[in-house]
Amino acid sequence: MKPPMEQPMNENPVLASVTALTVEVDGRALVDRVSLRIRPGTVTALVGASGSGKTTTGLALLGEYPAGARVTGEVTVHGTRIGYVPQHPAAVLNPARRTGALLHDMARRQVRDLPRPQRRTAARQRVTEALADAQLDASAGVLGRYPHQLSGGQQQRVVLAQALLLGARVIVADEPTTGQDALTKRRIVDQLAAVAARGIAVLLLSHDLDVVRELADEVLVMRGGRVVEQGPAHRILDGPTHPWTKELLAEPRTLPYADPGRTGEELLTVDGLTARHRTAGRRAPVLNVDRLTLRRGECLAVVGRSGSGKTTLARCLAGLHRDHTGQILLDGTALPRSLRDRSREQLAAVQYVFQDARAAFDEHRPVLDQVARTAVRLRGAGHREATEEARRTLTDLGLDDALVRRAPGGLSGGELQRAALARALLARPRVLVCDEITSGLDPVTRRSLLDLLATLIRRPGGPGVVLITHDLDTAAPATRLAVLDGGHIVEQGTREQILTAPRHPFTAALLAASRRWGAAVRP
Amino acid sequence: MNGMRSWIARRLLLGAVQTAAVVLLVFALTEALPGDAAVAFAGDQPDPQRIAAVREAMGLDRPAHERLADWVLGLLHGDFGTSLTSGRPVAGFLADGFGPTLLLAAVTVLLLVPVGVGLGVLAARHEGRFTDRLISSATLGVYAVPEFALGALLVSVFALRLGWFPPTAVGYGTGLLAHPAVLVLPVLVLLARPVCSLARLVRAGMIEALAAPYTAHAERYGIPGARVRYAHALPNALAPATQQLARTVDWLLCGVIVVEALYVIPGLGTVLMNAVADRDIPVVQGLAVVFGLATVVLNLGADLVTHRLAPRSGVAA
Repeated sequence: MKPPMEQPMNENPVLASVTALTVEVDGRALVDRVSLRIRPGTVTALVGASGSGKTTTGLALLGEYPAGARVTGEVTVHGTRIGYVPQHPAAVLNPARRTGALLHDMARRQVRDLPRPQRRTAARQRVTEALADAQLDASAGVLGRYPHQLSGGQQQRVVLAQALLLGARVIVADEPTTGQDALTKRRIVDQLAAVAARGIAVLLLSHDLDVVRELADEVLVMRGGRVVEQGPAHRILDGPTHPWTKELLAEPRTLPYADPGRTGEELLTVDGLTARHRTAGRRAPVLNVDRLTLRRGECLAVVGRSGSGKTTLARCLAGLHRDHTGQILLDGTALPRSLRDRSREQLAAVQYVFQDARAAFDEHRPVLDQVARTAVRLRGAGHREATEEARRTLTDLGLDDALVRRAPGGLSGGELQRAALARALLARPRVLVCDEITSGLDPVTRRSLLDLLATLIRRPGGPGVVLITHDLDTAAPATRLAVLDGGHIVEQGTREQILTAPRHPFTAALLAASRRWGAAVRP
Repeated sequence: MNGMRSWIARRLLLGAVQTAAVVLLVFALTEALPGDAAVAFAGDQPDPQRIAAVREAMGLDRPAHERLADWVLGLLHGDFGTSLTSGRPVAGFLADGFGPTLLLAAVTVLLLVPVGVGLGVLAARHEGRFTDRLISSATLGVYAVPEFALGALLVSVFALRLGWFPPTAVGYGTGLLAHPAVLVLPVLVLLARPVCSLARLVRAGMIEALAAPYTAHAERYGIPGARVRYAHALPNALAPATQQLARTVDWLLCGVIVVEALYVIPGLGTVLMNAVADRDIPVVQGLAVVFGLATVVLNLGADLVTHRLAPRSGVAA
């Protein structure tokens, strides 16, 4: 939490410190001579792209290192336990045990000194308190449920309650807001602020600069395992001196993705669509779209929170979700609902780029071969010809020949997402459906990927793009925006209209949640 | 929880259908066999007139569907019919054989679960090290030995050469519990392969569970090692093992013919063998019904336990 006034840091005792920490695996330094101090009630942010050594540094505080790591330097923790809130809270919740299991085990160890008859009540009391501190109501039955029966927010609070029950005075929060929509981010930020207000120190590992700006007292900018710049948050964020920090802090793209002068006739039209999902044996409607159109040469952003039906819409367009009524028209001709019934030309015309690029590639085959396969399958190109075209396209997208001959494991997340774009482009699609392709990427990688997307749209004969995203910054440069909430398009219009004069309260709330931390949402 | 109840109801219904299918199939297959009880009864001098007389006496000359209807009606009242060879009620046969089989199965399972799970957890804890390699290679080796070979080996070493245990259960009747020494060798043979398969399944699941982030999280927050292993990691490792255990119990309850024959234990396996040899169709049918029911109930139980251990996995019904 930011102190209201500038407080002299020295009055605050140090809870934990890292001095000249170096962690090497196979001779490669994951973390290189990093030093930091953590004081009560402050938020220290480690900022950097993925792979910059943030998580390795954070886990070092917990005394955990990668397998086979060579560690030098010193990590000192002064009389406190350290809590850990990972990026995906569900990963640390045991799927086979009820949510309360670990909490009760922890509490029982804390009350061992009490006389036996009092232990049970005392342990339960402690658990209830920890839940209350994490803004969870124990009487709501959260403890008796399995982790998968909790919402994402509840899961995160349970993990936070575990750290609070531990009596941790330092909590390491790893990318707590990555991939979350603006309203969820807001909630997480408030929660971390409340934790810091209790005098607990937070080590925030994040590439989400809005969150860092809001929470951090102290910022360390990391690159390639080294701290390139460090200091009080306002100085680093408002007056960065290192070029890498400047690049990291650069404003998100505001220049429109598509050339407004080149918008053509209707390309893809969704008409009277109702999509259903099967849950617990029932088929419940999850998405209703009266009418939605994508024109030639434009980018249509579909914005909404998780669970709003964005991905279902995208999957309907691509023929991956066939349980729907209504029509999807491409150039005025209805597309069959199922992928299996679409002709090769129709398949090639609508291409899908998935959120998780790593999961979308076969991990054992070279990226180049997988990209080339599209041209073979969908356009009937010969193997040699397809490989040549794949190589050209990949080079065009900034991936050199040596890189794409590797298996997907040898590419970073951003590089793989470029390869996924290239794979879709080899079909020479009319419509490109991009489903959250930048979530989980750091700001620098995200910006370059979106710039690339804009280049593709602006090319003569380039595809129309449906950009599915929860992030308003990503959606803002689109030609038109459709706001999806609870399975309905609550509002759609040009970017100017949506961003400056939203008509629906939900759009306004989404804009407000983004603006509150100074996000660059400008028409 | 309502979904759970309707799931159980659906499973029970499915189980009933499965049992009915088993009953029909057994009846149809025995009908399709060449010859019948009358032929077997006639022995070495098949005299057509005598066979016809026996057929008439047994009611075998009536149409198949009438006999099936009679039999099914009887089943619903708990009447399994009458043995053709001895004239005793089939229910009595089954009850006599059930005692020794149940005893063997119970003793085996009581030892199987702790030993199998214990070995699996122990191996997983020492993954890749000496203890693990020892357990893994020993379980693989023992699993490769069939029951009849192991049984014969144990008899020749421990009964005939060393004289520690009686070689067979001959002369002890059905009161096996009063003579535990009789049970040692058969139980060892019955344990050998299931312990190996269970241990290997638990080891695999446990290695995965011990490497999972939730296990690291429990350790990180100061939960003692044994508690982490058995209360937090093990439940995740047990789901596949439960299914395997149900199959093992099923195998035990349906009379392990080889072991019962080898040690001359008057269990269901022996009853089945004799009934098949004598073409004693009512007894075979009765056994099929009992085995079918046991399989259905055990698998339902295993699915329930699996659902409890892996609540996310949808259980098909």
